[in-house]
Amino acid sequence: MDWLCRLRQDFFYTFALDVLCMTVSYEHRLLFRHEGPLDMEVLPLLVHTADKALQKEGAKPPLRRRIVSSLIEVAQNIIRYAAVDEKYPPLLMLSRSDQGFVLIAKNLIHCSQEFFLHAYLRNLIQMPREELERLYYNTLTEGSYSDIGGAGLGIVQVLFKSDSFEHELMPAEGEYSWFTIKATFLL
Amino acid sequence: MSDLTTSEKLIIEPTFTTPEIRFDPAARHFFIGGNSYPENSLKFYGPVLQWVQNWASKHTPSSDTLTVEVKLEYFNTSTAKVLLDLFRLFESLHEKGQPVQIRWIYLKEDSEMEDAGLDYQAAVRVPFELVPVNE
Repeated sequence: MDWLCRLRQDFFYTFALDVLCMTVSYEHRLLFRHEGPLDMEVLPLLVHTADKALQKEGAKPPLRRRIVSSLIEVAQNIIRYAAVDEKYPPLLMLSRSDQGFVLIAKNLIHCSQEFFLHAYLRNLIQMPREELERLYYNTLTEGSYSDIGGAGLGIVQVLFKSDSFEHELMPAEGEYSWFTIKATFLL
Repeated sequence: MSDLTTSEKLIIEPTFTTPEIRFDPAARHFFIGGNSYPENSLKFYGPVLQWVQNWASKHTPSSDTLTVEVKLEYFNTSTAKVLLDLFRLFESLHEKGQPVQIRWIYLKEDSEMEDAGLDYQAAVRVPFELVPVNE
């Protein structure tokens, strides 16, 4: 039955990629793509690569900061919280379209996190921008740190720094789900 | 950090993900600059906050202004939070009579950094100057 599990996993992997990434693959110009182990040694290379690519594309400093800061937050969320499976490593991708830039992050999570994550994101996504900014500011000034030194602000920042934000949770093999986010930054 | 810290100054060299930090109490100058996105900001900044707090507890206010310069490039949200804790330490020093001036240095055209500076300016009660630079 291993081949069947593998086939199912491959199917969901491809499908999860397709749903949010298809437009990136076919209509956008890829600036960088990292699919592999992600840790704090790799992250500075990705930050540097993204920053240089955005400079080359003529992105102004405020836009660069919004995108690279979002890349740092999603990457550190993956480093902190993602389930690790060497066969299916996380994916980070930045691409260019006529309207701006698209950042995609995709990683495995344990299915026990799915309900919380979905509810958390659904709550954030429906907030008006001013409310998101207020939440960010209040958490910054009054909130506490997590046990692993996070401020609980990463995804909030990506939401209000991006011009549109989509997410998806797809079943993966066994106890895991694919978590994919797509953040768009307009020029 | 202990090998880089003397009783006189706090000196931390930069890495790809952590900033340069220099605090020279005799010169009344604190500087933090570069990238700051450590995986665990509390682990990195905890000893810095402790160092400043220890120094502040023994410090007798003088009329010389203590200048705090911040010139960050990319920083993560947990650093953003730690920065506020750091500014609040300097704020309490300011309230005890030590003149403190925080200078938030940012690239002139980077309105995102200007906004971040404005957030801090609103959050702390200490002279807080936004300093746009060309390079």
